Amino acid sequence: MAPGALLLEAQREYEKESQKADEYLREIKDQNLLSEAVRQCIEAAGYEHEPETQKSLLRAASFGKCFLDKFPPESFVRTCRDLRVLNAIWDYQIGIPLTFAQYKQLTIEVLLDRLVLRRLYPLAIRICEYLRLSEFQGVSRILAHWACYKVQQKDKSDEEVAHAINQKLGDTPGISYSEIAARAYDCGRTELAIKLLEYEPRSGEQVPLLLKMKKSQLALNKAIESGDTDLVYTVVLHLKNELNRGTFFMTLQKQPVALSLYRQFCKHQELETLKDLYNQDDDHQELGNFHVHSSYSSEKRIEGRVAALQNAVDEYYKAKNEFAAKATEDQIKLLRMQRRLQDDLDKPYVDYSLHDTVYGLILDGNHKRAEHLYRDFRVPDKRFWWLKIGALAEREDWEEMEKFSKSKKSPIGYLPFVEICMKHHNRHEARKYAARVTPEQRVKAHILVGELDQAADAAIEHKNETEMNLVLSKCTAATDSSVAEKINRAKAQSLKK
Amino acid sequence: FRRKRKWGRGAVPAPFLAGAARSPARPRGAAAGPVPLAAGAGPSPSMAFPGRRDAPDGPDFTVLKRLARDQLIYLLEQLPGKKDLFIEADLMSPLDRIANVSILKQHDVDKLYKVENKPIVSTSDQLCFLVRPRITNMKYVADIVNADKATGRSRKYKIIFSPQKFYTCELVLEEEGIYGDVTCDEWAFYLLPLDDDLLSMELPEFFRDYFLEGDQRWISTVARALQLLNSLFGPFTNTYGIGRCAKMVYEVWRELVEESEGDSQARRPEISHVFLMDRDVDYVTALCSQVVYEGLVDDTFRIKCGSVDFGPDVTSSDRSFKVLLNAQDKVFSEIRNEHFSNVFGFLSQKARNLQTQYDRRRGMDIKQIKNFVSQELKGLKQEHRLLSLHIGACESIMKKKTKQDFQELLKTEHSLLEGFDIRESTSYIEEHIDRQVSPSESLRLMCLLSVTENGLIPKDYRSLKTQYLQSYGPEHLLTFHNLKRIGLLMEQAPGETLTAVESKVSKLVTDRAAGKLTDAFNSLARKSNFRGISKKLGLIPRVDGEYNLKVPRDMAYVFSGAYVPLSCKIIEQVLERQGWLGLEEVVRLLNGNEFAPTEPVTEENPARETQRVILAVFLGGCTFSEISALRFLGKEKGYKFIFLTTAITSSARLMDAMLEAKV
Repeated sequence: MAPGALLLEAQREYEKESQKADEYLREIKDQNLLSEAVRQCIEAAGYEHEPETQKSLLRAASFGKCFLDKFPPESFVRTCRDLRVLNAIWDYQIGIPLTFAQYKQLTIEVLLDRLVLRRLYPLAIRICEYLRLSEFQGVSRILAHWACYKVQQKDKSDEEVAHAINQKLGDTPGISYSEIAARAYDCGRTELAIKLLEYEPRSGEQVPLLLKMKKSQLALNKAIESGDTDLVYTVVLHLKNELNRGTFFMTLQKQPVALSLYRQFCKHQELETLKDLYNQDDDHQELGNFHVHSSYSSEKRIEGRVAALQNAVDEYYKAKNEFAAKATEDQIKLLRMQRRLQDDLDKPYVDYSLHDTVYGLILDGNHKRAEHLYRDFRVPDKRFWWLKIGALAEREDWEEMEKFSKSKKSPIGYLPFVEICMKHHNRHEARKYAARVTPEQRVKAHILVGELDQAADAAIEHKNETEMNLVLSKCTAATDSSVAEKINRAKAQSLKK
Repeated sequence: FRRKRKWGRGAVPAPFLAGAARSPARPRGAAAGPVPLAAGAGPSPSMAFPGRRDAPDGPDFTVLKRLARDQLIYLLEQLPGKKDLFIEADLMSPLDRIANVSILKQHDVDKLYKVENKPIVSTSDQLCFLVRPRITNMKYVADIVNADKATGRSRKYKIIFSPQKFYTCELVLEEEGIYGDVTCDEWAFYLLPLDDDLLSMELPEFFRDYFLEGDQRWISTVARALQLLNSLFGPFTNTYGIGRCAKMVYEVWRELVEESEGDSQARRPEISHVFLMDRDVDYVTALCSQVVYEGLVDDTFRIKCGSVDFGPDVTSSDRSFKVLLNAQDKVFSEIRNEHFSNVFGFLSQKARNLQTQYDRRRGMDIKQIKNFVSQELKGLKQEHRLLSLHIGACESIMKKKTKQDFQELLKTEHSLLEGFDIRESTSYIEEHIDRQVSPSESLRLMCLLSVTENGLIPKDYRSLKTQYLQSYGPEHLLTFHNLKRIGLLMEQAPGETLTAVESKVSKLVTDRAAGKLTDAFNSLARKSNFRGISKKLGLIPRVDGEYNLKVPRDMAYVFSGAYVPLSCKIIEQVLERQGWLGLEEVVRLLNGNEFAPTEPVTEENPARETQRVILAVFLGGCTFSEISALRFLGKEKGYKFIFLTTAITSSARLMDAMLEAKV
């Protein structure tokens, strides 16, 4: 007799409170076969179909285990669990007559799949819960299948179905609403699909399906909401192919985020499209800018540049941007003038700013032409004076500078003359202008040309303490002690008063 | 409280020293990182003490470099065998901080080239391109591939996008007909630690793309960077912010957190507070001349990727030196946050100290000398070298700044900030333009005038623009258009009084609250309301006697005591109030879009309260002055600020971003 059978007997006798139980048990133990007996009982239970028999076998195994020190419990527990699952599917209402061996071979996942196929969702879920399968593998997967089935039920309204699904699924991890929605769409229930997508937290999953369903507007909205620009581009370029140009642009106008993204793309890839975009939108300001930009980036010949600028002028007028229009007109004038200069003087003038052009002319001694530009472009007096003395000094044309300084009263005063002369290390010339500065600037002028003594006198004359201190700070003990003394005396005197 | 002491006045933060002993990030990196290699990178010695939590001053960001390097190596190994690597110019300096040439060579990189508009000369069978996701780069690659096709040459091509790939790039590859010929990868190198407390995304184009062009593509990039930090050093419990972009980043980031929920819950955060701010919340601060040493060095020499090239005028030799400017530079770390007027004094004191240390040699016996030479001399020499460089830099700055009459310039800026003598300032600016002092300086001053005054009066607006065009050429018509669009240089609407403006703004705010975030996009440019904000927040300190720049009393010291940087003041106020309560009026003037945690998480343990580490995120760039100001605030209030910026910015960089490039 197999030890397992003996153990079963022993357990039965034990229940009858018979001493034979002890006898049988001893017999097994003496042969050292108790653990083998327990194992046999557990295994046998697996092959039994009748729950009662399963139970008695398991009970025997459990009984035998009591007399063993270290029998690993896993096989027992596992068999119990598996049997409960098997008993459930053997039920006549379910009717899946799998044997234990078949079940082991199939694995629980396959069994669940079969249950799902038979739409036995509640049982499948109960089994998952009972076996403590991870949500991702178990419950969520089944719920998703359930939902996919649910969407095919044509007798219920979209709202009802969507609501029912959301009720059951909630935020269960691992559920992909977009998959369910895709199924709904496959069944021709577009509205339901859209409703279901509302529950999808990941925009990245919503957008492709929406596009597939030709709900591009909605897709665009979702993509923008997601903050994922790649998604937005996906939709935008999809729209570009799907719609005619006019409608495409109209759609974009309504979505500033998408529009600016597309503009960015066009700036690099399709400049002409960019122009069309602005045209469509009657954005004359941007069109003007566009032409200005191309006037100095893509056009090389002067005629081309002038033409581009002329276009810009027209657009700026349409945009009621008088300032930009005037500035651009001036630029056209300047460009033409510069080309003439270039031809006449055989020097590069094109592409210089007005300031630099005039400066260049003076530097080359073309005072007449410079004067002409100055009047023609209404260059402010101050600027002209600044730039002219700068250029003259650089040319070291001191004679011309003196002439200029006497042409009329300087709008910038004469201190700048002093400064510029000193910058070019011409103390002699600087002195001339130092004499002509206004009294307020006299101290500064004298300091600049290094006449500390006169500076001190002027400061003392002004009775201006800050000026005196300024002079004092320039004094070095070695060379200017007398000046310093003079100031200190004056300061002391003013204090006394 | 040990930490508090460490942060006390004058203490030099030394997180690298403290951080070297521990490496909490590696095991975490494996869980969180997008980097497949992290787990296989080999154990670090500190793994033996996983439970040790010695309080460092701030988190140790070296892990970010390690993650980036490991992933780059992994990506290079995806293309086995010898290959030539083409690197985009903008990525060269950041790459240099991550992996040097020998590491690249170790992984079969044969030759290195710069991506530039020239035909390539490589003879390798495998080409690898390391680029930013830009369309021009795709065309560059396409040209190479198509040229090869034309000559019947077959090679392998791989494009590595940093920090991520964009759909448009693939699209262009497709349009150019080479999509099938190249393989694409992403190098998730989001954050470059420029310093112990400074992380940069090195994306200067962020500013123009978002604020001028309305292009939102970098939003998700920033959100991912935030999530990377969150998974390594978080969880962030309290997130505050202001600005439309900040809000979007926050929302996208929250989604990322929810997707990866569950991995970081119970951990004690190293960074718990985050403050996100848009650059357009505060243009004023960014437009001011910087007078703190680090800012001034940036304005004068342009610090690039944490290092600066000191030219011959600084080094007083015929060579120029590249100097890394960070907390490791013992001289620099002591003067970087100082007002420039203190720096010279400090440096000469330092020089004297150095001299006395050298002088100690005298009277030493042989043994002591030996000790001195082997242990101290090298350090002293190093310090000596740095000292002379910084003195040279100071001299060079002084020379440049006095030439342009720096004092006059600062005076004008200060009166603009205070709102006095506007006429005088306007004519100063006009003269500045007329004399062609500096194109970007002039533009900056015009913007400062506009932003502080809520726009220029129409007459000035026209005449200044005309003058500018005459000085610098007509293409700046487009620059002005850009400046108007972004709201930096505007015209006051005629007859619009301040109250009218305000009611208009408040209407906009309520509209916006009701509508969707995106609806407001049409009106990117906005009124700055600087005067009102300045009054409400007390940004102009009251003058009572001389402001002692040696012992600053508030953050205004970074602007010579004339102005407390608005951006920093907002952060201070919000942290103090743990939200926007009581700041409603300011928020309204700032055009809203503020957010705060519904229930701020506060530590029960008051000892830990003082240890708050705050991540200040600047979207569109932050200036060194702002960093200095917040470092000062941190010392005063016991905060530790960590800076995350899309790039370091300055007034000149802001202006440059507004130019239309001549293509």
